[in-house]
Amino acid sequence: MARPLLGNPGTLSILAGIPAGLSEEDARILRGLRAGIEEAYQELIDRYEQPVYSVVYRLLDNPVDTCDVVQEVFLKVFRGVNSFREQSSLRTWIYRIALNEAHNHRRWFMRHCRREISIENEGSDRRNPLELASDPGRSPFDQALDNENRTLIERALARINPVFRTAVVLRDIQNLSYEEIAEILQVSLGTVKSRILRGREALRRELTQRPDPGLAEAMA
Amino acid sequence: MMCWSAKRRSADYVDRRLRGNERIRMAAHLAQCDSCSQHVEDLASVRTTLRDLREPVAPSPLRTELLVIASRERRLSRSSALERLWSRWRFRLHEMMRPITIPATGGLLSSLVLFAALALTISTTTRAVAYEVPVLYADKIDPNLVPVELRSSVVLTLTLDGKGRITDYAVRDGSDSFIGDPSRLQYNNIALPEFPTVLAMAQPVSRDISISFTPLVFRR
Repeated sequence: MARPLLGNPGTLSILAGIPAGLSEEDARILRGLRAGIEEAYQELIDRYEQPVYSVVYRLLDNPVDTCDVVQEVFLKVFRGVNSFREQSSLRTWIYRIALNEAHNHRRWFMRHCRREISIENEGSDRRNPLELASDPGRSPFDQALDNENRTLIERALARINPVFRTAVVLRDIQNLSYEEIAEILQVSLGTVKSRILRGREALRRELTQRPDPGLAEAMA
Repeated sequence: MMCWSAKRRSADYVDRRLRGNERIRMAAHLAQCDSCSQHVEDLASVRTTLRDLREPVAPSPLRTELLVIASRERRLSRSSALERLWSRWRFRLHEMMRPITIPATGGLLSSLVLFAALALTISTTTRAVAYEVPVLYADKIDPNLVPVELRSSVVLTLTLDGKGRITDYAVRDGSDSFIGDPSRLQYNNIALPEFPTVLAMAQPVSRDISISFTPLVFRR
């Protein structure tokens, strides 16, 4: 089976058992980055800012630091672009850097700031103001219920083992394939399956063990 | 299919990764086994819940910050190979040193403070003005002054122990001698002051003191 060369930026060009390699789009951006073309830098940011932000946000124990970590990720991408060996897709490489940075930051946070208490109210909503904008299609009650459910799910997600959380976030939130996750995490396909299964089971336990009426709806 | 086998394949089943016979066998088992069926249903609901989770939106200042970083890095990438190499190594050094910067700085500062405190005690120079210069008077060459013969300028080097006691002396006129009894100096009409204890690193140390004698010739 032939591997598609012209890739939709959002789609994965990895097929089972075939090394990822670069799509033509990736190669074009990469050439631009190496040549120092401004548009290539902008395009890279346009394409990967939101996905990287999203995955880092889900993986950090303290999402307040997400922006700092995302900046570190892009800094490493820009500086490492000449040493990128093109054995995987650009997206896989960037995700791998993001995961490593998030992991490093989480480890640093555990060592240094674990016992610190934020001056912000823990219960306060730390979402982006854009997210808080009202949805005209839903009643205030529905919106409040949605927010409550989402908070519960996010807290449950934050409580599960980071190894399993990473696999679940990449699969169920970032919608990456098993093969791509294996490449990002640099583990076997079997390990990815196992981690996703155990992550989902752990999350189910976390969600069902909480005696909160909102959970029933969250799980429904 | 056994239950343990079905549970192992449940993540694949939920993600529709099972094909052909395997999927049919799994579906048949789930139709018969309530426990496995419930397990798969729970996993599917977790997956749906996570997929419905709204993506956190990256704050707009982040894009500006990333563009600034990109601009800076682009400028760096256009610089000469030597500058890029220096920049890369500086970055790596920074990354390497970052975790140990605070402890290393603390250690360096404390060692400097300690050294500065001890340095005050390290003084081996003796200020001549602090002592009475021994006076030796002779109107003619006196053989009793041997070994100090004041035919010309003579340098008397005294070796002192930690408590300031004379343990040895040498005369720089060609004749060296050791005396166990410092009173020999007094026999030779050399009056010496008492020397204080000198400390280095809080410990008394021995040192040498040189005294120069110059004969004064009076002519009648």
